[in-house]
Amino acid sequence: MATLTLSGVDKAYDKLQVVHGVDLDIADGEFVVFVGPSGCGKSTLLRMIAGLEEITAGTVAIDGRRVNELSPAERGIAMVFQTYALYPHKDVYGNMAFALKHAGVDRQTIDERVRMAAEILGLEPLLKRRPKQLSGGQRQRVAIGRAIVRDPKIFLFDEPLSNLDAALRVQMRVEILKLHQRLRSTMVYVTHDQVEAMTLADRIVVLNGGVVEQVGTPMALYHHPANRFVAEFIGSPRMNLMPARPVGRENGSAVVEIAGGARLSIPVDPAENGAVGDDWQLGVRPEHLAVTAPDAAAGQPGALSGAVTVVERLGGETLVHAAIDGADTLVVKAGGDASLRLGDRIAVVPALDECHLFDAAGRALAKPRRAALDVERPRHDA
Amino acid sequence: MVSDPSTSRATAPDSLGPPGSASSATAAEEAAPRRRPRLHIVVFLAPALAIYTIFSIYPLIESLRLSLFSGNPDGSADFVGIANYARLLGDPNWAEQFWNALWNNIVLFGVHMLVQNPIGLMLAALLSLPALKLASTYRTLIFVPTLLSVVIVGFVWELILSPLWGLSETLMGYVGLADFYQPWLGLEGTALVTISLISVWQYVGIPMMLIYAALLAVPDELIDAARIDGLSGWSIFWKVKLPLILPTLGVVAILTYIGNFTVSFDLIYSVQGALGAPNFATDVMGTLLFRTFFGQQLQLGDPFMGATVASMLFFIILIGVSIYLFAVQRRLQRYEM
Amino acid sequence: MATSETGAVARRGLSAASIHAVLLAYTAIALFPVLLIVMNSFKGRRGIFGDPLGLPVGESFSLEGYTTVLTQGAFGTYFSNSLIVTIVSLFLILFLGAAAAHALAEYRFKANAFLAIYMIVGIMVPIRLGTVAILQLMVDLSLVNTLAALILVYTAQGLPVAVFILTEFMRTLSRDIKDSARIDGLSEYRIFLEVVLPLIRPVIATVAVFSMVPIWNDLWFPLILAPGDDTKTVTLGVQQFIGQYTVNWSAVLAALSLAILPVLALYAVFSRQLIRGITSGAVKG
Repeated sequence: MATLTLSGVDKAYDKLQVVHGVDLDIADGEFVVFVGPSGCGKSTLLRMIAGLEEITAGTVAIDGRRVNELSPAERGIAMVFQTYALYPHKDVYGNMAFALKHAGVDRQTIDERVRMAAEILGLEPLLKRRPKQLSGGQRQRVAIGRAIVRDPKIFLFDEPLSNLDAALRVQMRVEILKLHQRLRSTMVYVTHDQVEAMTLADRIVVLNGGVVEQVGTPMALYHHPANRFVAEFIGSPRMNLMPARPVGRENGSAVVEIAGGARLSIPVDPAENGAVGDDWQLGVRPEHLAVTAPDAAAGQPGALSGAVTVVERLGGETLVHAAIDGADTLVVKAGGDASLRLGDRIAVVPALDECHLFDAAGRALAKPRRAALDVERPRHDA
Repeated sequence: MVSDPSTSRATAPDSLGPPGSASSATAAEEAAPRRRPRLHIVVFLAPALAIYTIFSIYPLIESLRLSLFSGNPDGSADFVGIANYARLLGDPNWAEQFWNALWNNIVLFGVHMLVQNPIGLMLAALLSLPALKLASTYRTLIFVPTLLSVVIVGFVWELILSPLWGLSETLMGYVGLADFYQPWLGLEGTALVTISLISVWQYVGIPMMLIYAALLAVPDELIDAARIDGLSGWSIFWKVKLPLILPTLGVVAILTYIGNFTVSFDLIYSVQGALGAPNFATDVMGTLLFRTFFGQQLQLGDPFMGATVASMLFFIILIGVSIYLFAVQRRLQRYEM
Repeated sequence: MATSETGAVARRGLSAASIHAVLLAYTAIALFPVLLIVMNSFKGRRGIFGDPLGLPVGESFSLEGYTTVLTQGAFGTYFSNSLIVTIVSLFLILFLGAAAAHALAEYRFKANAFLAIYMIVGIMVPIRLGTVAILQLMVDLSLVNTLAALILVYTAQGLPVAVFILTEFMRTLSRDIKDSARIDGLSEYRIFLEVVLPLIRPVIATVAVFSMVPIWNDLWFPLILAPGDDTKTVTLGVQQFIGQYTVNWSAVLAALSLAILPVLALYAVFSRQLIRGITSGAVKG
């Protein structure tokens, strides 16, 4: 149980800087996920928290105490690795007991703690097995068990599910979530998978090029991305973007014109004015677009007409690629049974409240706050 | 530039700040308390480096140095520059031996390249055929001679080829070739090639293993893809596998080159003696070095000339390795597999 | 499915049977001389000359060769010398080599690339070229005619290849497992001893056999550094024994058989691991 504070954390290898001035406060019991594309510095940041990488500049503090100079073992953390990192020459019990044995904990306490962790994770029948005799999911469970046994102040996860197949990944994700609800420990989790980030996190930290792009609850990032990068990274299928030219303001909305001449009026924060440049972009998620017959859309604000070019049927839903007349192709999420075929003429109607505008620098124009979203997700200790 | 880190941090809290701005300038100043001194690196490296340096690198450099000196009867030594080299290459007595030994080494190398490595390649290619039964048994047994001492190898072939025992003659008689038998090891014209072939017999396991390992590393999917592209059997080998293992063949060639100057001594010394009998027909750089250093029969040992021969050998190997590194290895592209 | 390539070869006229014929023939060529020595070492003089290809059974069976070797030569001493030199050198090569390889594979430090190249020099340049100075050095250290001289030289000779192969292999080890040990609180030394060493066991066998064979079989350095009766190795002992007993062939063949034995025994035990080590990609060019 602990808080974790990063202030001005930098990492550089020789001249190459890979992490730039990260500031972050993580509360006790919070589940924070670092997410970003590969090479964004998320793992490096986690390894600096763990003490596996030297901190070039800045401070990492656990419970308010600077730990930059402490060895990993002295920081009171435990870490779960992508490749499980089990000792192949020790059995499951030996793996889980190893750190405690090394720390000189007495035999009985070790046994109690190992059995407790094994029980939480359903590992009791496997205690005498070697890692080689376990499946991927079992190995990762042992790796998590090894972390639990140490009763750490902070759990660190480095892409723990990336080596598992899709079905197991979903299952283990739920297990990790349950584990957090049960242990209520502070957890920091690194992944490149935005679905994992959305489902697990109390708060998500989006990293790109060693820089924090945005920190927030999953829903805040979804509804109020700070910039184009976050908007595209969070949400699946990804947000549609198209060039848009600002043409004016009208009662709390910015009016933009997209290719093909259609004009849309997007609500923005009244305080938001004069964003840079003319080359804006309009962003709208596939689930915030509706498909209708061309005539039914007549008169609806922002309705665009086009033709179906691709239909991807996923069963429960259908992804429709619609070539908008005079503009780009948009991906639209429609119902599973939507009766659409290639070449059909359709109208696409955006939910204007859910559209996003980005200025020439890629920064999002602030949107009117929704009361519900200002509250962060209730935390377990609340 | 930035006098007070804390101020700059306070004025530049924006994490979106470009790299190399104020925040990285402060980095250097705040990094002061480094983590534990990394003494363990020294502890891990020092013993190996010490033994290697004292008993391998230092003697090598010292030999190069000694080759520039000449001994006096009273035990002292004078610096003579490259006089020893001039003597080795210019004095008819020395030059004749030197060039003869070098030429013999080249012949030795040639036989290994033309016989040993193709046989090794062929064996490896056969062994790597999928679903070949008993492959591991063949592999294990064919490698056995490589493990034997040259003393043993030399002696057994001497016996087999000896006219005294008559074994070769008997064996050749089985196939009606008894009349062609000759005591090859004893004849000036055939001794060197015979010795080379004995060495080939002993060491063919090494190229076989290296090439075999490289062939196994070619992914099955690539072979499947080639098959779907319409290639089969040998054409897969020639057009897909062989190009991929070229770097290994380069390594085999350079190992053959280096081995040829060192390992050959043991075999020749035990079969033909330090004089490279008959009549220096099998004298190589190794035996010349040994003779020069320790003396033989009427000739007195001379450590300085010995060092000179060793240094020449060093330069010869260096030339070969350089050719390999700069000409061969650069062209042989290594593919990630 | 798996046999399809062999099948394809077959269609081109190279049947599985002819592949086996080629391999069998070469295996016979490889083994024949070895079998010849061992077989004839159990015969008397007449058996060796009268019927070199016959099995040592009935009348021709004789242990006189072995009796001579074991009574005349000091083979017990030679054997123990060879064993001591080989085992101690091997231990030093593997242990010190693994430690150095671990440092090169695991840590970033300034001299890393330079040291890796420095070690490779020893692969490219045979240690024998320094013999003149090595003898000088051993004289200065009063190590001539000691087993220590051989051990030191063989260790220096074996280290570069061992470090090279082990470094390559260690680079493929998961970084996570070492980090995990760090988080578990192990010192860098214990990470090496308790985590890394057990993980490199598969290649250790390969490196061991590759390092051992040239040591056990070497003639050059025993001849130059330790030719004394008390420090002779088996290889040198056999070589000189052959010189002295040219007429007593059964004794010579018995001596040779005895010298082959340990290497073959070790090979029999480790061959599986040896091959696996080579083919696992640990030995790259």
